[in-house]
Amino acid sequence: MEKIKIKINGQEVEVEQGKTVLQVAKELNLHIPTLCNFEPLLPQGSCRICLVEDRGKLVTSCTTQVAPNMDIKLDTTDVIASRNLILQLLFTERNHYCMYCEASGDCELQKLGYEFGLDHFEFETYERKFTVDNSHNYIVIDPNRCVLCRRCVRACSQLAGHNVLGEMNRGIDTMIIADMDVPLGESSCTSCGLCVQVCPTGAITDKRSYYFGKDIQTEEIYSNCDQCPVGCGVKIYKKKGSNFIVKIYGDFDKENEGVLCKLGRYAGLFEEKPRLTSAKIKDDFGFKKIDFDGIIKTINEKMEDSVVYVDGSLFNEELSLIKKVFKDRVFSLYENEPPIESNVSIDDIKNAKDYIVIGVDLNREYGVIGSFIKRKIFSKNGRLILFDSNFNSLKNVANYVFGTDELESGFEKLKDLDSPIVIYKNLSEKEVEILNKYKNFRFFHLPFETNSIGLLKENIKHKIEKSKNIIFIGKNLQGLKDIAKESFTIVFTPYETDEINKFDLLIPINDGFEREGSFYNVDGKVVNKAKVLDSKFETFGLKAILEELIKVKSL
Amino acid sequence: MKKIKIASIWCEGCSGCHMSFLDMDERLVELINKGLEINATPITDLKIPDDDTDIGLIEGAVATDHHEEEVKMMREKCKFIVAIGDCAVFGGIVTMRNYIPTDELLKRGYIETESTVEGKIPTSPELGKHLPKVKAVNEIIKVDYYIPGCPPSADAIYYVLNEILEGRKPILTGDFLKYE
Repeated sequence: MEKIKIKINGQEVEVEQGKTVLQVAKELNLHIPTLCNFEPLLPQGSCRICLVEDRGKLVTSCTTQVAPNMDIKLDTTDVIASRNLILQLLFTERNHYCMYCEASGDCELQKLGYEFGLDHFEFETYERKFTVDNSHNYIVIDPNRCVLCRRCVRACSQLAGHNVLGEMNRGIDTMIIADMDVPLGESSCTSCGLCVQVCPTGAITDKRSYYFGKDIQTEEIYSNCDQCPVGCGVKIYKKKGSNFIVKIYGDFDKENEGVLCKLGRYAGLFEEKPRLTSAKIKDDFGFKKIDFDGIIKTINEKMEDSVVYVDGSLFNEELSLIKKVFKDRVFSLYENEPPIESNVSIDDIKNAKDYIVIGVDLNREYGVIGSFIKRKIFSKNGRLILFDSNFNSLKNVANYVFGTDELESGFEKLKDLDSPIVIYKNLSEKEVEILNKYKNFRFFHLPFETNSIGLLKENIKHKIEKSKNIIFIGKNLQGLKDIAKESFTIVFTPYETDEINKFDLLIPINDGFEREGSFYNVDGKVVNKAKVLDSKFETFGLKAILEELIKVKSL
Repeated sequence: MKKIKIASIWCEGCSGCHMSFLDMDERLVELINKGLEINATPITDLKIPDDDTDIGLIEGAVATDHHEEEVKMMREKCKFIVAIGDCAVFGGIVTMRNYIPTDELLKRGYIETESTVEGKIPTSPELGKHLPKVKAVNEIIKVDYYIPGCPPSADAIYYVLNEILEGRKPILTGDFLKYE
């Protein structure tokens, strides 16, 4: 990059061309206050608080690129007076009384007020009232608190690729709207929640964290989401001194670039399934409670004549322990073998040009992969070709849509594309045959379960074998119903479901934020999930039981 | 030693700022020894300050015509006006009523409250009449110094009074400047 010379506060510096004045000042450790600027988003210059003086002219430092002969002054009287005036206007336009605002304490506008020593309003305060949009399941939009920085609008399109939020009207009447001004709950919002994370004030807030205190009253725990194999980086805010998660934010330093989907940000906190609260064993009169020693004794008796099934919800540490105890009698209950091996990573998806998606609705599952593709399409840097005969919300954004049955003829038309990425979950044998013909295409398989790759690496294959005793460890009991009919079935699972009563020995295990361990993400990288909460139930850790079994067996 | 007379009134507020004032504890004695003289305040229960009062503290926002008269009287009688607390400085929590029509608000407050049986809206002529909008003190009169906070800490109030007593202009920073 070419270097040029500019002056900042009288000091001559050599800087890279293409950088903004704000970026250069930051590198030189010179402070410029900002509000609408947010690093991963393109600068917009809507708040004007970052004004600096360049040869007698006021310019916004976040949007002005450095140019030769610039003479930047950061704190002339003119700059300071203008910034103070801007802050006064920001505070008096709409309702910015900190006293009854949820964001007080974490608000960036408030922080600016403190920084500038703002101790009163110079203008008459604003009386207009806007309706609060409470229609969404997880998000509240309060336009009264909005400073119109458009961070949410930019995040929604530039990072998350959903393009739901936009703006309406002009000047002081500008409103942040969803779709064509419909309530957020009725809009095409996918509940990724990134707008909440970037909002500097209390205009867009998380319903769950509403009035649950400030960020300094929480503990920040970095972890990875285990809702799907994408394994996004998350920052979990746990209330200090309690067993409660306030909110989950995306980690901007990880591959997901702060973007999460509904599953990662909200589902884990909102959808609480009924839990299996204690270990119980079935006898002639129904279920009765059983203690740790009883469990060990029963499993030890049945172990000889048993097969063990696991699913992809288990972590690497758990899988290797299970292998250690049950050796080669461990199978996966579900098919995990990819129909065609992946040969690209998440980073390749971010940078590709053409995407071919076969039968997956990326707004509903693997949402972050969907975000990466959609943001390329909306910025006109990518094309999406969709093969799906069923309902698929991607049809609204896809450039070309084919039916699943048109795979052969469709691919024939696409053969000249420059190494597009084919994204799929399940494929029939015939489909695999068709796809295999396209050697220059790149392939990206979305595994069915969180740790599908971990199962394959541990060499745990899908196989159904009849046996007198069956042990199942995992969350997904779907496939167990048919094979467990005539066997004595031991189930390690976190949830209490209807079908659970058909089995013989039920052992509760930890779930969600109570578990810790590592798993393989879609890239085949090991990612870690941190333990955040303590279990409220009588769960005997899976690890403890397995380790005890090893001890008993060795005696 | 020259005495510095101080008076205070309490408009649409919760008395929290006066509590904070009293929370200065023994430092109040220190200020008095330095020359502070407490004149008409809700604490001394005197209503009209002397004409030569130096500092007038105003707690609370201006919500009724009575408050309006009172703050104007304070401006006439005091050399410096200090607005203390979020209500006096910005309008504070009482500005919540600016977003609801006054009739609706009185009905909800005096008649429709869940615990009220046969309620009625007070109409006594002795009561102040609601202004259409709750205002900060500086929307009515000129204010010289501001101490925001709900309530401002005793430390902040002490700092401001002490600075004025020592002849300096108080500038709030750091922990003294809070909006909540």
